[in-house]
Amino acid sequence: MSKSLWGKYFFVLMLALVLVLAACGGDDDTSEEGDDPETDQEETDEGEDDGEDADSEEGTEEEDDADVETNEDGEELYDIEDFDTVVSNDGEPMDGGELTYGLVTDTPFEGTLNFNFYSGTYDADILQWLDEGFLSMDDNYTYTQDGAATFDVDEENSTITFTINDDVYYHDGEQVTAEDWVYAYEVIGHPDYTGVRYGTAGFTLIEGMEEYHAGEADEISGIEIHDDLSFTIDYERLTPSLLTGGIWTYSMPKHIFEGMEIAEMAESPEVRETPVGFGPYKVDSIVPGESVSLSKHEDYWQGEPNLDSLTLQVVNPNVVVQSLENGEVDLVTSFPTDQYPDNADMEGVEFLGNIDMAYTYIGFKLGDWDEEAGEVNYQGEDMKMGDVELRRAMWHAVDNDAVAENFYHGLRWSGSTLIPPSHPAYHDESIEAPGYDVDEANRILDEAGYEDTNGDGNRETPDGEELTINFASMSGGDTAEPIANYYMQAWGEVGLNVELVDGRLLEFNSFYDRVGQSGEDDPDIDIYQGAWGVGSDVDPTGLYGRGQLFNFPRYASEENDALLEDGLSDEAFDQEYRQEVYSEWQELMVEEIPVFPTLYRAILYPANERVTNYDINVHSGGTEYDLYEIGVTEESQ
Amino acid sequence: MWKFIVRRLIITMPQIVLLSLFVFIMASFMPGDALTGQIGPDVDQDRLQELREQMGLNNPWYIQYRDWILGVFQGDFGTSFRYNMPASEIIQQRMINTIWLSLVSLIFIYALGIPMGLISGRYNDKLIDQVITSYTYLGFATPIFIFGLIALWVGGFQLGWFPTGGSVAPGLEPGSLEYILSKIHHLLLPGLAIALIGLVGTVQYLRSEIIDTKQKDFIITARAKGAPEQRVYNRHIFRNSVLPIAAFFGYEITSLISGTVFIEQIFSYPGMGNLFLESINIRDYTVVTALVLLFGLAAIIGALLSDIILSIVDPRIRIK
Repeated sequence: MSKSLWGKYFFVLMLALVLVLAACGGDDDTSEEGDDPETDQEETDEGEDDGEDADSEEGTEEEDDADVETNEDGEELYDIEDFDTVVSNDGEPMDGGELTYGLVTDTPFEGTLNFNFYSGTYDADILQWLDEGFLSMDDNYTYTQDGAATFDVDEENSTITFTINDDVYYHDGEQVTAEDWVYAYEVIGHPDYTGVRYGTAGFTLIEGMEEYHAGEADEISGIEIHDDLSFTIDYERLTPSLLTGGIWTYSMPKHIFEGMEIAEMAESPEVRETPVGFGPYKVDSIVPGESVSLSKHEDYWQGEPNLDSLTLQVVNPNVVVQSLENGEVDLVTSFPTDQYPDNADMEGVEFLGNIDMAYTYIGFKLGDWDEEAGEVNYQGEDMKMGDVELRRAMWHAVDNDAVAENFYHGLRWSGSTLIPPSHPAYHDESIEAPGYDVDEANRILDEAGYEDTNGDGNRETPDGEELTINFASMSGGDTAEPIANYYMQAWGEVGLNVELVDGRLLEFNSFYDRVGQSGEDDPDIDIYQGAWGVGSDVDPTGLYGRGQLFNFPRYASEENDALLEDGLSDEAFDQEYRQEVYSEWQELMVEEIPVFPTLYRAILYPANERVTNYDINVHSGGTEYDLYEIGVTEESQ
Repeated sequence: MWKFIVRRLIITMPQIVLLSLFVFIMASFMPGDALTGQIGPDVDQDRLQELREQMGLNNPWYIQYRDWILGVFQGDFGTSFRYNMPASEIIQQRMINTIWLSLVSLIFIYALGIPMGLISGRYNDKLIDQVITSYTYLGFATPIFIFGLIALWVGGFQLGWFPTGGSVAPGLEPGSLEYILSKIHHLLLPGLAIALIGLVGTVQYLRSEIIDTKQKDFIITARAKGAPEQRVYNRHIFRNSVLPIAAFFGYEITSLISGTVFIEQIFSYPGMGNLFLESINIRDYTVVTALVLLFGLAAIIGALLSDIILSIVDPRIRIK
């Protein structure tokens, strides 16, 4: 072969490689951020799992089939309304079925397999199969009487009495008793306890808990065991939050852990190698960090599970599509939504979807953290972003629908209030949030006195000073940078000069450090883009209360305090009243705008077509089918 | 010889202490800590503060360092925040996996690389040499994470010959024959992926050494004495050309325990590279510092090994 011909071949080869590089580079990024252990926790960052159609609120979903909507690049748009939450296969589960459930992550799972000690998301995904809470939830995340235990609220004495069903057995054959449940409280409340679960109202409100936690008392005075199956917890006061996820409903098998040092429990083989619960499947063997083999727990209290055996296996996000395609996994914990458009028609796999319990938002720094008082120090008008009109104009200036359509194929859509539609009973659709309207934004800014006085194209403050707004945004994923750029550009179009803090995106840890997770807010940050996953309880106090470190905007007002308190008051046991209170709160947030939600998102779950009785809500509440009912109708190919 | 080894070992001790100090200080400068990832509406902020206090995260770095180094001398590397278990235990778990993977890839590298280098050097500028050389260029240019993905796609998904992730099939009894076979089965594809890219250096070194040695006087002498061609290559040339590869062998041992992040990620293989990366990401300091210490130790021992091997192979560089 002549030299010149070699050269040509070489060039073509290089070109091909560059293309491959470009294509794979994208893949790599999504995986990295999707599995970052932290991002899977509470602060979800950009570009993870997403959502819904931009137009869903206008109710255009009906026509979607007839003429397919597309975004600016001509790519198809999707609408969460088109997704079911239950698999369409309604066949009878076969006997002796086997199923593989993929844990989508590129890091091994932690393996702290006990609800009282776990902190990782993947551990929770594993735990749900082998253990469960005593109380079940309806679709508004309120406890019902259908679980393995029932409860009886005595509002007068602010006590709750729990009674465990008499047919609940652990995997090792021992009956589950009131002692096991109370033992969980004793372990978590103990001074030597190493996990993060202590500190929520479900513990601190119990009479005598503080003393026990401080090591001053040997037992919790507010908990009284009546007999094998029932006990009463005496609370200092009752709040509705207790009944929407506040009560700690997990047991700790006392016959196994009794006698063990509490500080050593989390690392014990009883947690890591041979976990025992009373869920539908029991553990046969564990390969640390990789896979768990389970078989059915025949004495499961709701009935015999439909599958003979179940394998939970780590699947790398890079290959989750292929693994689903060839049937290696039947169900997965999560699916990278950005891969959905390319795989919407995957053979043998059905995509289910729901609204995710999360929202992305832009926050405005309105104060700082007062370490001594342990509360936010709201400084209102003194801060650069203190003018609510400025904040409102910034909300008007951004087109979140365009972001949702162009970056997320409609699987995210623009947000309106701070209680996402994943909580249908509390999310108030009727509230009108400032929508995309550049003229309105300009008008508001003109009126508020933000005018360009020195002719540099940027508006100055009403006092005539240069206004530069410093914007903090997190890195991660392909979309983080273009979206941040888009927002800055959109604000630039209404004459606001917004710049990235340090001129670049911030890494996850330093982002939260500087936004104020330790109470030392960086004064250089004026606004930031973050995301919250919301809990099953709608109470937003944890994120917007006056005494909350995670209230990053450092916003506080008496009206806000009052509404948050009302939402947890005795009257709020009445759901209608609570809805009203939280409607008002959502309204207040839209008026005051300490933060504004940018995007709501959908979460997608693929399922192999041989899977039956699977409802994706089993992960949260109000499910049609419970976990033990999941079955398969044919052997895997 | 022994003197030399002992002297080297004595020098390395302060190096390691310095290294650990350095790593510890750097780590304490990193923003965030192991609990940053836990914040959210379901977790109480006071509880996190309480935990920070309990774990000693609020202490100044020198106190933390003192506590840590005292523990290390007693064999206690601290507890991993993420895994809730002793750092030494989690490292041990991962190290076994990584050693197996590295061993398999090393075997592949030498089993394929040495013959390729020999052939390439012996028939230099012939067609076969051109094929091998262009393969090595390609190998140099291909990033391992792309090659890994392709290997996984072809070998794991298209052909279905190999498992697509993990280190062993779920549900097997550890120690049983099935378990061991499954382990080997899981090692083949990632091992091959590492080797096919990793062998290019070996091939190139060997090739150029052989071409070089081929023209040396003693080879001409050997030929003149009528030694058969096969013998000339196997005895005279090969032995003299393998020097640089032997020199690198010590360093290869180092990489035995440090693992490869990319391949481990792509094949969901729980090894050391992966552990290191995730520990840094979530600020699991105890694991990070223990790992750095270990890697440092391995690098120093690897360098030492290389020197020793070299001095065995080539008496000229033996230190007196």
